Amino acid sequence: MSETYNYHEEEALGKSYDGRLMKRLLSYARPYWLIILTCIILLLVVTATELARPYLIKIAIDDYITPGPLLVWESGNEPQEGIKYGEQIYIHRHRLSEDYPDQPKAQLFTYEGGFYLVDGYIEDINYSVRREEKGLIINTEVGLFTASPLEAEDYRAFRQPDKTALVQLALIYLGIIALGFSLNYLQIYLLHRTGQQIIFNIRHQVFSHLQRLSLRFFDTNPVGRLVTRVTNDTETLDQMFTGVVVYLFKDLFMLLGIVIVMLQLNIRLALISFSLIPIVIIATIVFRLKAREAYREVRTRLARINATLAENITGMRTVQIFHRMGEKHQEFNEINHAHYRASFRELKIFAVFRPFIDLIYFLALALLIWYGGGIVIRGLIPFGVLYAFIQYIEMFFRPINDMAEKYNIMQSAMASSERIFQLLDTPVDIQSPKQPLPTNIKGKIEFCNVWFAYNPGEWVLKDVSFTIEKGQTVAFVGATGAGKTSIINLISRLYDIQKGQILIDGVNIKEMDLDQLRKNVAVVLQDVFMFSGTIADNIRLNSDIDDQQIRHIAEAVDAHRFISRLPRNYESEVKERGATMSAGQRQLLAFARALAFKPKILILDEATANIDTETEQVIQKAMKTISRGRTTLVVAHRLSTIQSADKIIVMHKGKVREMGSHQQLLARGGYYYNLYQLQYKEQETG
Amino acid sequence: MKSFWLLKDFFRANVWRYALGVLWLIIVNSAQLVIPYLLGYITDQVETGQATTADLWSFAGYIMVIAAVIVASRYLWRIYIMGTARKLEFHLRDMLFSHLQKLSANFYNEHKTGDLMAHATNDVNAVRMALGPGIILLTDAIFLTVATVIIMSQTIDIRLTALALLPLPFMAVLVMFAGRIIHLRFKAVQAAFSNMTDRVQENLSGIRIIKTFVQEDTEAKKFDEVARSLIFRNMDLVRVWGLFMPLVQFISGLSYLIVLAYGGILVIEGTITLGAFVAFNTYLAMLIWPMMALGWVINVLQRGASSMERLKVLLETEPEVVDRPDVKEVNRLKGDLEIRNLDFSYPDGTAVLEDININLPRGNTLAIIGRTGSGKSTLANLLLRLYDPPSGRIFIDGIDINLIPLEVLRRDIGYVPQDLFLFSTTLHENIAFADENFSRKQVEEAAKLAQIYDNIVEFPQKFDTLSGERGVTLSGGQKQRMTIARALIKNPALLILDDCLSAVDTETEEKILKGLRRFMTGRSSIIISHRISTVQHADEIVVMDQGRIVEKGTHEELLKADGFYSTLHHKQQLERIIAEDRG
Repeated sequence: MSETYNYHEEEALGKSYDGRLMKRLLSYARPYWLIILTCIILLLVVTATELARPYLIKIAIDDYITPGPLLVWESGNEPQEGIKYGEQIYIHRHRLSEDYPDQPKAQLFTYEGGFYLVDGYIEDINYSVRREEKGLIINTEVGLFTASPLEAEDYRAFRQPDKTALVQLALIYLGIIALGFSLNYLQIYLLHRTGQQIIFNIRHQVFSHLQRLSLRFFDTNPVGRLVTRVTNDTETLDQMFTGVVVYLFKDLFMLLGIVIVMLQLNIRLALISFSLIPIVIIATIVFRLKAREAYREVRTRLARINATLAENITGMRTVQIFHRMGEKHQEFNEINHAHYRASFRELKIFAVFRPFIDLIYFLALALLIWYGGGIVIRGLIPFGVLYAFIQYIEMFFRPINDMAEKYNIMQSAMASSERIFQLLDTPVDIQSPKQPLPTNIKGKIEFCNVWFAYNPGEWVLKDVSFTIEKGQTVAFVGATGAGKTSIINLISRLYDIQKGQILIDGVNIKEMDLDQLRKNVAVVLQDVFMFSGTIADNIRLNSDIDDQQIRHIAEAVDAHRFISRLPRNYESEVKERGATMSAGQRQLLAFARALAFKPKILILDEATANIDTETEQVIQKAMKTISRGRTTLVVAHRLSTIQSADKIIVMHKGKVREMGSHQQLLARGGYYYNLYQLQYKEQETG
Repeated sequence: MKSFWLLKDFFRANVWRYALGVLWLIIVNSAQLVIPYLLGYITDQVETGQATTADLWSFAGYIMVIAAVIVASRYLWRIYIMGTARKLEFHLRDMLFSHLQKLSANFYNEHKTGDLMAHATNDVNAVRMALGPGIILLTDAIFLTVATVIIMSQTIDIRLTALALLPLPFMAVLVMFAGRIIHLRFKAVQAAFSNMTDRVQENLSGIRIIKTFVQEDTEAKKFDEVARSLIFRNMDLVRVWGLFMPLVQFISGLSYLIVLAYGGILVIEGTITLGAFVAFNTYLAMLIWPMMALGWVINVLQRGASSMERLKVLLETEPEVVDRPDVKEVNRLKGDLEIRNLDFSYPDGTAVLEDININLPRGNTLAIIGRTGSGKSTLANLLLRLYDPPSGRIFIDGIDINLIPLEVLRRDIGYVPQDLFLFSTTLHENIAFADENFSRKQVEEAAKLAQIYDNIVEFPQKFDTLSGERGVTLSGGQKQRMTIARALIKNPALLILDDCLSAVDTETEEKILKGLRRFMTGRSSIIISHRISTVQHADEIVVMDQGRIVEKGTHEELLKADGFYSTLHHKQQLERIIAEDRG
């Protein structure tokens, strides 16, 4: 069932944006502020390189492609090398570093396929041309200019510096895109590495916190759901850190950069372009609201599909037995269709929003052409400026179109972070005391009027008291549900008791260091849990016991024999949680595991599973070995174990019913006697 | 790609939607192509001073007309193509669901829920991507590339076009190639991710051992290792993936660079006009997208095809248990059961039942008792045809069970299984599962008979309480009684209780059985159990061991026989004494 849990909870999607959550999330980014700042600065530069292209094209058009003014010097007086034509030296203004405002000007002119040189610079665009014998007469508002014809060869010579400048500009552009490329890559790399670090830290924190939570927490929270917290929910956060947060800066830079460049190029044209921004803002706000609703609905419906699907797959047998396929199909069809309708609604919102933003873009373009074209005609700005505006306005609308996707990522990240923080805020209810009493555990255990319940009010242990001396072996017997297992859980403080006291060597276990306590109490459970890894790993459990010692331990509990028959001995991989080994073998490994930690107190829950006689004897022998010199508590299922115990504690319905040795208890002919008849008598023959 | 043929009915019904969608897309693209041309024209008009203010008005007007066409068509292609893809998603999921319903118990033994869920979510999604965005990308890529290249080379300059486009095929190849590497590295990331998931899963499942051996910190360290290796795999991916966008920008930048230098020179030399230069730049901007799309579209289509392939395997799995062509017309079962010399092995070859002979006349109660694994539940599964039994072995009302329509068989047999599955609906709906037309009164009666009524009315919302995750969590005993009520409400001709009273205390069990005896008069029942108290009142008791019937008779007869049954009886007597000990 645990698989289905994940699908259910998706339905409860958290708040879309929560300042408190965001603040807490960003606190994880704080240690990396320097790298993040670097990323932001890099992004600033990258944005600048992206903004450079329209600007460079503007320069190319206005300064090089469109013939600009030439300054004219008498030959010999020129400040630098120029083009010699007749007696004069002509120099392109873009090649000069000074202005020379009083220097006479000239201009290249193309008319009806012919090339001309004008004896001045036509600043105004409004002109009329009259053809004469010698050349052209150009009539403008500031006066008349004459243009003399040029040979194609001369014209080419005049344009050569423009071409050279154009190629130089192209090289500069190459430098810019190369810079943009490398810085952008660097930025992406750094950003993702940092994002991964942050997510790693969150994961580590969630995982470590889970390790500290008590078993009570695990009883009520399915493993599948907790796994999702550590893995998937954190993954969503990564998407937010790397895909949204920093790119918000980029979009911001882009928009700001465009605004600045536009304002710098021409204030009036810029203001005209910006006149549509309020509409964009309003449209965006409306869209955000609509999209959020639609997105949530789609998510909820999808979660419902998945939950229903998972439930139907798990319960398919029931559905088939009751022959309810038709009805269940109908039910699923409705849920599926509801999702379809919701996703169609979402689609419509996008289908309206995207083209609407396009419409505004085209409106801006039309405005630019109408107004900008007007001032170009009137000669107030060169054409290149208008063209740059046209390109910038296109770039301006790009981040607005991406916004929708980022918004969706933000929403799921908020939901995930809410769930993660909820887990992190779950208090650790069993902890070491602030100042633990110094312990040197010897092994005397006392239960004094212990009351314990897993769920409030449902007492599992009622007023239980007993004493076990150091080094004694005690067997617990009783029917299922008598409370034997609970006693095991309490000694190593897997749960805390509600009333009474548990003392070890006279010290309340709540006042001991938790790790010290557990290190001294080894527990071998009936159902031996095997980790993936080798046999040796499963014995040493992360500790630094060397192979030699492991072998000694395995020999002591007689596990060596079967291990040495495995293909790779101690290095054999444990497959499928040990399913390939017999119950007896797993039990022996668990003994070895317990022994490896040299505990003062040993707790065994005997296996009830069928174990063949040979293994049975091996286990009995091993138990004797490991209980030597240790206080040993056994939840006993075997007669031989009970018979060799120093003391038998008979549990019944959460209370200690009888206590004594096997013979004493049998002689009493009471509860134990009946139990013996039922559970153990058969074994006498075996 | 052939696997898409499975969707032929859908395509046939929706072909005009796709066709219209593609048409709108082509209209958008064509209209878009006018914009650069218009910009070029305006440039030349403005630059040479021929344009008047009135012209500017009409230029702006033209742009708005084209904009109107683009905006309207963009809305329409989204609705037509993306909408149809959504519809396809719905259709495919529905197909999958109804097919899953037909598959038999064996299939579910072999397939994990998680795996099937992955099919229904990830694979369906990948197919939708291929047949929605995939089609759009493909249309864009083909149409825009061809049209733009033709326009650029025909109307502007063929040499400039050739030069400017030189870097772009590299881009398409790069996108495709990088796409493949990215796919591989992405798989490695996923593997590392599931490795981490396994690690957490194992740790949390073994948390008890970890705590008792104080391994929390070392486990955290081990977790850090796998989490860190996920970082490494992710960074491997980022190293390629992160290169992708910057490189695409760089390559398109190279194209711009060529246009800037060479195109600019052409304008200077008077080969092309400034307007053509402007138009060319704008066309180029339009080409970069389809070139990138070309690389993507291959990945999207590939992924869609392989997902469809996986779905096809699932959709073409033949259901094992179906009504046979020679099925008899049976409307109602009466409840006479006969089993003759039944042997049965599971498909994997393990023999479970051997030479079973049972005769259960209508109105009688048969009890089956035996250890776990003795074959009791398999017998029940065969009676419901969760697996098909061999022909000519099991007869109900004298008809071979394989010839009875499944619907009639499963409707008239009330079965209470061992696995206690309840749906996360209301308790009422769970009891009335067999037919939603059952009245509240009928539901209440069934609940009373199953001794669950008192529990239900204690919940604040009574019968409208939700069961499961979002409602109440019922105990094992409560669930058992719920499933009993669910079977009883059907008024079955044959009731099978498969070890379904194990979590119910003996007192309640007694009450349930007493009620049942009254309720089942004239109808047959089979009670499977390992508890003597449950079976002792049956008309006949069958003891099973290792797939065979080892003893047979009434309670009294079997006690006398002094075999397995009487030993069990003795043991359970003692158990009872112990349990009732009030100390």
